[in-house]
Amino acid sequence: MFVFIAGGGRTGAQLASQLISQSYEVRLVEHRRELLARLHQELPTEVIFEGVATDPKVLREAGLERANVVVACTAEDPSNLVICYLARTLFQVNRTIARVNNPRDAWLFDDKFCVDEKITQADVMAHLIQEEMSMGDMMTLLKLRRGRYSLVEEKVPPGAKAIGISLKELGLPDSCVIAAIIRRGQIILPRGNATLEEFDEVLAITDAEGASRLAELLAPPVYPERPRKPKA
Amino acid sequence: MNFIVIGCGRVGADLAFRLFKNGHQVVVVDQAQEAFSRLDPDFRGRTTEGDLLSLGALQRSGIETADGVAVVTNSDTVNAVIGHAIRTHFPQVRQVVVRNYDPAMREMQEAFGLQLVSSTAWGAERLQELLIDPSFRAVFSAGNGEVELYELLIDSLWEGRPLKDLMSACGEAGVVVALTRAGRAELPSAAQVFRNGDILTVGASLEGIQALRTRLQSGPEA
Repeated sequence: MFVFIAGGGRTGAQLASQLISQSYEVRLVEHRRELLARLHQELPTEVIFEGVATDPKVLREAGLERANVVVACTAEDPSNLVICYLARTLFQVNRTIARVNNPRDAWLFDDKFCVDEKITQADVMAHLIQEEMSMGDMMTLLKLRRGRYSLVEEKVPPGAKAIGISLKELGLPDSCVIAAIIRRGQIILPRGNATLEEFDEVLAITDAEGASRLAELLAPPVYPERPRKPKA
Repeated sequence: MNFIVIGCGRVGADLAFRLFKNGHQVVVVDQAQEAFSRLDPDFRGRTTEGDLLSLGALQRSGIETADGVAVVTNSDTVNAVIGHAIRTHFPQVRQVVVRNYDPAMREMQEAFGLQLVSSTAWGAERLQELLIDPSFRAVFSAGNGEVELYELLIDSLWEGRPLKDLMSACGEAGVVVALTRAGRAELPSAAQVFRNGDILTVGASLEGIQALRTRLQSGPEA
């Protein structure tokens, strides 16, 4: 898989090094001198292409034609829109992902500019924070089908409501399935009559509603004691 | 008619004032209030300050009822995006014209299929023509000066010679538009014979007109 990244700011550079470590083929296009110096320290030279990513000539020379995915994550919304549009109309790239810098520009990021997926930094952060607040210790491992379903993991704390009740009697909605239980390092594929024990790790595939029901069942009975900050 | 000018730099301010003087309703949009100081003091159109890419700014400028929009900021990327957004989201706007600022960005803007005006490329082309031969008087520029219409005066050297003997000089780099004789223009055939004093109007690229000039001055081949 060949991933083409336009924009070598923090997001682009971080994404490039993550993908490289997972042995994707990556090309990153950037023209700002001050960023290029840093990029050359962080990434292999052959990954970096110096040029303006909104110029079709640059995109052609950088090999966009071969790309399976283009990620437009420059700090300029107009540039990200142009890059997605050119990638699809001139280079037939299958999938385009664009970063929205200013939420006010979000209305432009759709099929009219050939944007398949838009990512608004502010939205994503707000969403994650909200999830963290409502879900306690539940961790989202993977988003499935554009985020409607997720694979989540949570540890069963002592005293949780769910302990000792068979899975089929937990009253979980249809949109939540317990896929596996990790107990003392062993994976158990649970049946409906299995029960949870404390310190089990539960893996579930669920939507948001199922996740909040699951979080309720796996919540500790009272607020656990937490180390308090000494008063100043 | 109702026109919107997006971007109030030198081009935008001048365009807005011209439209206003010709009796049109004009709204000028810019993200900086101080940009409107470039407008002529006699300009009586409306100005709107706002983030150029926001839907709100477009709506405030009256995009729903506009007949035409000129997008003339000094960012080619912004111009292309706004132009394409208007064409796709507000298809009732009859005409959208976009300014090209940096000729290197032409190909990108052309990919959107936008109507472009490049004052830089057009100006450079005209300057080049005048430097090479001041007698190249173009009567009309198409596009951004890539093809222009020229008037050629036929002198006695060409009396009695067919038109094709002259036009073969430029090959496909030029076409005949009209032959004017005694104030009357016609669409001539290739076999048409010249008279002294004919005016030949041709559409040609710069290479084309240069080749025609050379042949015109050296006379028909024997």
